[in-house]
Amino acid sequence: MTEVKAGPVPYIYVCTRMRVRKSKLIPREEYLRMLNMGLSEITRFVEETQYKKEIDELATAFHGIDLIEIALSWNLAKEYQNIQKITPGTLKDLTRAYLRRWDIQNILTIIRGKLHGERPGKIKEVLVPAGELDKAFLDRMIEEPSPERIIESLKGKAEYPLLSRLFEGGVREELLPKAENELYKQFYADLIEMARSGIKGGRQFLDYLTLDIDITNIRNMFRFRADQSGDDIMNVAIPGGTISPQMMQRLLQIKDRNEFIDALVPLIKTRVLRELLETLREEKSIREIEIDLIKVQIAEMETMSKLHPFSIHPILAYLEMKKYEIFNLRALARGKESNLSPDRIRGYLVI
Amino acid sequence: MALRDIKPTRSELINLKKRIALSERGYKILKMKRDGLILEFFKVLEQAKDTRGDLNERYESAQAMMAVANTVEGAIGVKAAAFSVQQEPDIKVASKNIMGVVVPEIESSKVRKGLNERGYGILGTTSVIDETALSFEELVEAIIRSAEIETTMKKLLDEIESTKRRVNALEFKVIPELTEARDFIKMRLDEMEREELFRLKKIKARNV
Repeated sequence: MTEVKAGPVPYIYVCTRMRVRKSKLIPREEYLRMLNMGLSEITRFVEETQYKKEIDELATAFHGIDLIEIALSWNLAKEYQNIQKITPGTLKDLTRAYLRRWDIQNILTIIRGKLHGERPGKIKEVLVPAGELDKAFLDRMIEEPSPERIIESLKGKAEYPLLSRLFEGGVREELLPKAENELYKQFYADLIEMARSGIKGGRQFLDYLTLDIDITNIRNMFRFRADQSGDDIMNVAIPGGTISPQMMQRLLQIKDRNEFIDALVPLIKTRVLRELLETLREEKSIREIEIDLIKVQIAEMETMSKLHPFSIHPILAYLEMKKYEIFNLRALARGKESNLSPDRIRGYLVI
Repeated sequence: MALRDIKPTRSELINLKKRIALSERGYKILKMKRDGLILEFFKVLEQAKDTRGDLNERYESAQAMMAVANTVEGAIGVKAAAFSVQQEPDIKVASKNIMGVVVPEIESSKVRKGLNERGYGILGTTSVIDETALSFEELVEAIIRSAEIETTMKKLLDEIESTKRRVNALEFKVIPELTEARDFIKMRLDEMEREELFRLKKIKARNV
């Protein structure tokens, strides 16, 4: 492929490819059809689609539902790695930065697995190398003899300074939740800093980040409300959205649901999100709320990608939609395996 | 007690009478204890039924939540979250006394935890993991409650069984045998008294 170094051409090229890939994602009607299929039919369906290659590769090591799930995760990881390769210029930097969330997940899984004395093979099964740290790097991390050495192996990576500071006196399990929350907060802080650094396309990226942070913060407020343990939300509140962590803390003091929504809605700038919040006045399970929030996020990302067709938005929209395709297929297969009713499974699908 | 081993003496009769009185008193007390234990057992049985029902319900609900968690998060997400479990509940077993039966009193450290205490980060997980963790915490609490009550019930049952054996032994073996021995001695003493009287009459008749 001839690489075009300047001008809008590479952006047009990659954004068009994203739109083509998006059109190849499984449509809503297929999911509805799959709800009435048995597990073996779903397995065959998955095997006959773009996931065939991964299923064939893994068929010797895994079988049944585990094979499907791991093949789906591998496909996601490969797809994300592939997108990082084809994305040019600043879009590549933004995409790579956005995919760093998978690195956080993988690093924490490896550290936790090591602390629990899990076999390297078992830890490897639960990793999704979709971020900057590729499969070979993660394999080397798994082979490290101790969690401290795992952290040392991250020298030079974005996560290293925070982890080395937190675990200065050795890796302790009770510090892991704090490390996880801090890593995600730092991840968002880094992305915001990057978006505000004057980078091309940074403004659009910032719009997405604000939406993502708002949705994550709202979801967590509902989780804390459902938990009723009175825990402090400041540890998990992500700065950079339209609601400040202090405001989140104040909002959580409001016990009545209607009053809570009354206070929350005026703070939100996104219209669809405000509309969704209005519908949450009636009792809904926390899972339903989460699914509704995800749907709003995807819909809003679609709108953004139409408004800015040659920006980071079409890429982010595709990455998220691909993630939820994997999520839906896995939910269908696992739901069928657990004998959940089609209606119940449908409630967990993002369609 | 074989009758041939019994010495038909007055002192033996007095001893036997004392033993019968003691056995009868013991029998009455043990019978009362047995009845008391049975009453206590029925009370515990009701609690055990409730806790077992609760345990079954929570087990079903935990299993259902696990199915949902596998559906939503996948086995990968569930396993990754399971790596976060930091500590097992600290169980302390003390004992208490119910009518002489030593039964356990189980105390556990707090099983149910807040969102921030569960060991996984909030930002990297979804509410399904919260709900699954909560349902398993509730299951562990139900197991601990059930363990205390069901062990109490089993200990009470063992004690009722052994008390019942003692009551039956006293009622159908010890007391009847002692009564029989007492009657035998009485009969022998009466006979000896009659022989003595007869002998005296004979001597008196010869002297006259």
